[in-house]
Amino acid sequence: MFKAIEVLQPNFIQRPLNELWQLISPLYNMDEEKWLKELLPLAKPSEGELENQTNAAANLIADVRQDDDSMSMIDALLLEYSLDTKEGILLMCLAEALMRVPDKETADAFIKDRLSVADWASHAKNSDSFFVNASTWGLLLTGKIVTMDEKKDGTPANLVNRMVNRVSEPVIRKAMNQAMKIMGHQFVLGRSIEEALSRGKSYRDKGYTYSFDMLGEAALTAADADKYLTSYMKAVESVGKDTYSQKHRPTISIKLSALHPRYEVGCEERVMTELFDSVKGLITKARSLNVGITIDAEEADRLELSLHLFEKLYRDECTKGWGLFGLVVQAYSKRALPVLVWLAALSKEQGDRIPVRLVKGAYWDSEIKLCQQRGINGYPVYTRKESTDVSYLACANFLLSEHARANIFPQFASHNAHTIATISCIAKQLGASADEYEFQRLHGMGDALYNRLIKDSDICVRIYAPVGSHKDLLPYLVRRLLENGANSSFVHRLIDASYPIADLIDHPVTTLESRKSLANPHINLPANLFDDRKNSFGPNIEIDSDWTPFKAKIDVFMGQDTQWRAFPIVGGEKVATGQSHSIKSPYDHSQTAGQIDWADAATVTKAINLAEAAFPAWSARPATERADCLDKMADLMEENYAELMALCHREAGKTIQDSIDEVREAVDFCRYYAQQARSHFADPTSYTDFLGSEKQTKLNGRGVFTCISPWNFPLAIFTGQVVAALVVGNTVVAKPAEQTSLIAFRAIEMLHQAGVPTDVLHLLPGDGATVGAPLTSDKRIAGLAFTGSTGTAQLINRTLAARGVAPVPVIAETGGQNAMLIDSTSLPEQVVRDAVRSAFASAGQRCSALRVMFVQADIADRVIPMIKGAMQEQTVGLPYLHSTDVGPVIDKKAQDMLLEHIKHMTKESKLIAQAELPDFAKNGTFVAPTAFEISSIDQLTDEKFGPILHVVRYKARDLDKIIDTINNSGFGLTMGVHSRNETTCARIASRARVGNLYINRDQVGAVVGVQPFGGQGLSGTGPKAGGPHYLQRFAIEQDL
Amino acid sequence: MTIVQPIQIQVAQKVFEAWDKLGVNGRAEALKKALNTFPDAQRKMAAWQIDNAEKSIAETRVMPGPTGERNELSNQGRGVFLCSSFIEGDNAKVGLVGQVFTALIAGNPVITVGPTGQEVMDMIAPFVAEGVVQNIAESAQDSLIEADHLAGIATLCDPAQAQLFSQRLAAKSGLICQLVEETDAENLSSIAKPHYLLRFVTERTVSNNTTAIGGNATLLELGSMND
Repeated sequence: MFKAIEVLQPNFIQRPLNELWQLISPLYNMDEEKWLKELLPLAKPSEGELENQTNAAANLIADVRQDDDSMSMIDALLLEYSLDTKEGILLMCLAEALMRVPDKETADAFIKDRLSVADWASHAKNSDSFFVNASTWGLLLTGKIVTMDEKKDGTPANLVNRMVNRVSEPVIRKAMNQAMKIMGHQFVLGRSIEEALSRGKSYRDKGYTYSFDMLGEAALTAADADKYLTSYMKAVESVGKDTYSQKHRPTISIKLSALHPRYEVGCEERVMTELFDSVKGLITKARSLNVGITIDAEEADRLELSLHLFEKLYRDECTKGWGLFGLVVQAYSKRALPVLVWLAALSKEQGDRIPVRLVKGAYWDSEIKLCQQRGINGYPVYTRKESTDVSYLACANFLLSEHARANIFPQFASHNAHTIATISCIAKQLGASADEYEFQRLHGMGDALYNRLIKDSDICVRIYAPVGSHKDLLPYLVRRLLENGANSSFVHRLIDASYPIADLIDHPVTTLESRKSLANPHINLPANLFDDRKNSFGPNIEIDSDWTPFKAKIDVFMGQDTQWRAFPIVGGEKVATGQSHSIKSPYDHSQTAGQIDWADAATVTKAINLAEAAFPAWSARPATERADCLDKMADLMEENYAELMALCHREAGKTIQDSIDEVREAVDFCRYYAQQARSHFADPTSYTDFLGSEKQTKLNGRGVFTCISPWNFPLAIFTGQVVAALVVGNTVVAKPAEQTSLIAFRAIEMLHQAGVPTDVLHLLPGDGATVGAPLTSDKRIAGLAFTGSTGTAQLINRTLAARGVAPVPVIAETGGQNAMLIDSTSLPEQVVRDAVRSAFASAGQRCSALRVMFVQADIADRVIPMIKGAMQEQTVGLPYLHSTDVGPVIDKKAQDMLLEHIKHMTKESKLIAQAELPDFAKNGTFVAPTAFEISSIDQLTDEKFGPILHVVRYKARDLDKIIDTINNSGFGLTMGVHSRNETTCARIASRARVGNLYINRDQVGAVVGVQPFGGQGLSGTGPKAGGPHYLQRFAIEQDL
Repeated sequence: MTIVQPIQIQVAQKVFEAWDKLGVNGRAEALKKALNTFPDAQRKMAAWQIDNAEKSIAETRVMPGPTGERNELSNQGRGVFLCSSFIEGDNAKVGLVGQVFTALIAGNPVITVGPTGQEVMDMIAPFVAEGVVQNIAESAQDSLIEADHLAGIATLCDPAQAQLFSQRLAAKSGLICQLVEETDAENLSSIAKPHYLLRFVTERTVSNNTTAIGGNATLLELGSMND
């Protein structure tokens, strides 16, 4: 970690560029306390400075409050519909989705859904803004009418009311669409640059200038990226023609994710060539017309990649000598300061000044959520707002210092009165003149503040203004606004004259230093997400400092010289049976991962004998001791993370992220079941029986459990079943899938190392005939856990039942015919991203994977081509490469079955798209992701376990019929729903007979203890793995 | 080959969704009305099963997890259950009532067998929707056991019969039909236990991405909380 305060030394940026670059990545998830302690001195004013800054802020706010007409429309809207109210959120939801709904029925239902739940009356007349009152009255009126047709108990109201409703629906829809247009008009400066320039003229007369952005969704297809590029080109041309003034020319801001469908670290090669070319074209044109270009900042995962690209563009001939090519830096990022330092040094080296917009950052909550989901070791952003403000001021102190501002043109974007006033003070104090920096604000926000500022000084203020069709922009802007909801509270307090000024002008350094801890104690680190157990850890493969050292550890196991040698393990002994099988890597059959001996009949018998004999002692051990073994196992797996990942690659053909998720799930299973066992199995529980007497029961083990697991989660499911059976007090004979026995062998070795006695747990690799059969036909087997196909589950069940002993528990997780339902309120970009991931990630080899997607006909012509385009961007390849999205399928048998299905469907239905296969695919067993359009789910008989998606169009009114056909398939594992209409989601949720339902997200990747997993009907017996009732089924409940 | 499913299964399938949707509390309200007509021990058993369900499976459980997502775990009925007793006597009857009420409160439609079953069903039928409880003649039992959509059988029988049932159910194609057997007619040591109920439910997880339209309100709240 570097000394932050040293950046103020003028020679700091003269260090070698590479040395400065090295400072960036390690700060990605640096300990927040440590790093803020470094940063605070850089932001901390002296006593005299503090007084100046505080006075300046107080004066600014007092002045603003005097100009009561300067509040903009959006400020007024946020003031009335603060985002911490239900109505505020509902209004934004409506604005986000309504305009894209093409069909009347869905639009009406959606309006009703949104408007009927809120208390609009309370907002009427509260606001002085005509715009806000107009929309409130509209909402109030419609809110009343749409709720009229149903009584509270759900029965239809009388005929008259229903007629009112029917007559008024088109009127309401029209009114709402009109209201959304008005909102769009407020948020969006113009539908074209020409309109924006013309509408912006009044502000420019006041002294403002602009940066325009064709904001919108990220491109998921090459066609969308082309479309965005064209509109940026046009924008540059239009701005180039602007003749208003040569001083403070408007600039264009560019969102890179709109210009390339795969702007991500895994596709760095493409980013550095294809995306580079696109932006270079824009720069060349912009430079010829003297229109500055700013690269927008996006998610933390893309920061390092964006800097690489920026550097390449900046050093290119097209940019050299220009000085108007800049970028955005987010102060909420822990890496912000070293990024600025590196940029200053880069600029110093080349001699072209870099304009840098310093913002606070707009993806804060998604950054936090993502890290929690992925088990990242820390956060890339600060967890307190005041820490971001501190970072902002620390960065400002650097940017405004003489050596930095000589190389960087700082552009301070903020709507916070204190920040603005403080920046002005710092600039004055450091001798920066008004033409050495500028302020920026968003269109429609912060008018009051900046109108005052611009009146009092000759500083340049640039308005960042979205340009484009309301339909495309409003959803995006609303989402940004919601993510950035904290803003609304400041607007609120700024305008509210009753709120004491003194409370608005606390210096963030003072606030932060007054806290007990610098990090926010209410936001747990990803590792501490759960109160009662540690969350599993995962490295972030997008971040150099996190991933590169981790990858080096995996690489140790990736060479052909590393070969695993595995055997059956019985009584702790490796049993060489002579029946050796080598395990080929699914992506390249010329490579092997190792060799395994299969168990023979004698080995199986011996294992069962030992397990039976070991049961009494093991089940008599306190549950807490058994749980300790599981916790130890979890730690051992994390210690051997790299080796297990290498096995996932080489034996199972799993991609990098899939392999991380695999290990994480196994770790989570161990810790979750350990915790469950401690709470429910350690002590007897009391209950009053039906006759009123007090009784005590205890959950105990049943005996020898057979665990039979599949190859698709060779570590997670294997370990999950085995440790569940063990922790309850059973002894276990485990048969892993033939394809993936090496990793199972390592797991058993680790379990023994973790303290599970060697006579309690035995590994029996082999095929169904030699190993599976005796493990299900032996009379001593007291229960069985199985994950695999429905057919095999039935067979196993039959064998067990035929033994002539009392029935035993069978816990079976089997197949699915998983659907996703998409209505016209959903956001196509989100749908396509989630559908592609659900259907093709892990080459479709997940029980939960999407097989049949139902798209409402009204939007099918938008969604289906997008799926096609997104599929063309999927990379099928070697699973251990970061660039690979889809790896191989497990073996030849699976490949043949899938290719046969593709052949069949090509004849029977319409091919939507098929991804490309690389040349080396012939060395292994690859299947190209393929999508077909079919007319009904009935066209499919059984589950096809691979990367094949089927798409069905449906009419909105047939939704219930569709749910019926899905239910009638008999399977019931997962289902995805994409809709903004909560009533629709609730209706589907209540009717669909599935085990795991996912709303507005992908439908794969259930997390232990968060989304307990398992199906019903043909999809499994339950209870759910990773859920609170799972262990109980492995046990017997006995009175004491 | 199209196999004609027994009419009782079809009837039960039709009412299943509505019965299940009532939720534990809704079903408890209906079933409690039937309690008074049952003799003492049977009534106590039925009431105890209802009470147990209200305590343990009525509420949707909110699972912990990352912010910006709401994860809920709830319980539903599995489908049509056949409840039967092959053992005579008062205690066995208490057991049968226990099976029936457990299956019902869990959200399943129930079919019983023969005159004993009829007696139990007659006392419940007035308080539930038509088709939620049905009874069949013993002669019809086999076709019901073979039926495709039978979700499970709860039976009070001797160990040998339990094995036979287990084999018959395993021989079927389609879903794995649950056998919930009780072979201890004297103490009802399975039926009278708190976890017995879990054999009659299927669990459902609903994961709702609350940030789908943007903001993560929970997190914003946490972020602005004062310590």
